[in-house]
Amino acid sequence: MEFKNILTTCPYCGCGCGLLLEVLDGKLVGTLPSKTSRANEGKLCIKGWTVHEFVTSSKRLTQPMVRKNGTLEEASWDEALSIAAGRLAEIKEKYGPDSIAMLSSAKCTNEENYLLQKFCRAAIGTNNIDHCARL
Amino acid sequence: MAQKRMTFLQKLMSFSGIDPDRLRLRWVSSADASAFVDEISQFTEDLKKMGPNPLKAKEAA
Amino acid sequence: MSTTVKVYVEQLLDEGKIKGFLGLREENGHIMPHLFCSPEDLVHMSLGDNTRPGDARYPLNQLLITLAAKYPDDTFAVLVRGCDERGLKELFKWEQLREEKVIPVGIGCPDELAKACECEKPFPDALIEGPQGQKADSENVAHVDGMDLDTRLEFWLGEFDRCIKCFGCRNVCPMCFCNECALQEESLVGTGKIPPDNPTFHLTRAVHMAGRCIDCGLCEEACPADIPLRTLYKKVADIVHEAFGYRTGYELDKKSPFNIIGGL
Repeated sequence: MEFKNILTTCPYCGCGCGLLLEVLDGKLVGTLPSKTSRANEGKLCIKGWTVHEFVTSSKRLTQPMVRKNGTLEEASWDEALSIAAGRLAEIKEKYGPDSIAMLSSAKCTNEENYLLQKFCRAAIGTNNIDHCARL
Repeated sequence: MAQKRMTFLQKLMSFSGIDPDRLRLRWVSSADASAFVDEISQFTEDLKKMGPNPLKAKEAA
Repeated sequence: MSTTVKVYVEQLLDEGKIKGFLGLREENGHIMPHLFCSPEDLVHMSLGDNTRPGDARYPLNQLLITLAAKYPDDTFAVLVRGCDERGLKELFKWEQLREEKVIPVGIGCPDELAKACECEKPFPDALIEGPQGQKADSENVAHVDGMDLDTRLEFWLGEFDRCIKCFGCRNVCPMCFCNECALQEESLVGTGKIPPDNPTFHLTRAVHMAGRCIDCGLCEEACPADIPLRTLYKKVADIVHEAFGYRTGYELDKKSPFNIIGGL
């Protein structure tokens, strides 16, 4: 049996509130604000308080989804990536690179965010890159 | 028990700044329709004298 | 201050009396709840004092309920201050924890903290270490009582106006364990607006704190808007005492009047 509280930073906005993830036997069971983190001083907003809910949510995607005839259907990674790459190339060709914008997330790693902005600027050729922490 | 809960609620209302007289508890037999009517009519009169609900005024503001 | 507690817990662990001790741990300057299962681990133990006494307190009873639900046959020790012990006594009566499965490890609060909390009893009966502090007077409640009715309304509506409906007060509360919370019931509290129904949201919570609130102050500490929740809930406790003769968390054999269906 193991019960730990892991100190981490909230994945939502740019405030960077310190929060504790309650982990019982390897499973996330709750969230508490960190009383010793200077950014939030033991307080959280509703998004921070419910961090553990989205992590263990049954609604999380487990397969790529592609919209076919108006409805989202499960697809393989190969199919999804081919469609995405193909359509982006088409749109860039037809409307120019600035017609494409990309929005990244604090729930991604720094490395993933770096990769996306590199892809956006170098591969697509536009500066239209932003991040959910700015919202 | 209900009387005690009423007292509790009235004191809490007072502490929150709402006139406790806006809450009233009366026992009326279900067989006594006229007494029921009298109670409600009287309470309505008394409430009118107290003026509109102060919370409504705040909401409108 | 923590030597006596450490020795006491070590003994409990060595004698196999407990599966673990639910207390606080210090790591890299941060304090957080932790379940200590071996005596060697206790070197990281903290009592919840960061820069000021008691400023790193957590709702340990709430975490204990989670543990006990998964391990109902195991006995746990838990770090308790005066307020936490009041919480335990109520939780036993509300059947969220079993008395025979919980060993309280009590610490007393210093004057500075007791005064800041305006605490009725800043030490638990099961006191292992720390002072048996004095009861502190409540000035905050008296201050609001001294206002006239209209001023009071303006005061409270003003305070509640800053609420961002983070549910921090409810989430951090060691006494809130309802599976379906009235505050999330759309027919009682409207959704989709900030601040939430003023004063419905907060008065609803206050009524639900009757006979339940142990005055630990974690709600006010968790409020990002600095709403004086404690003052409101302290008044509720006073009214319950006046109307029902009941004080929350002091007796093991007398249930709260709100814990009895059908009446007294």
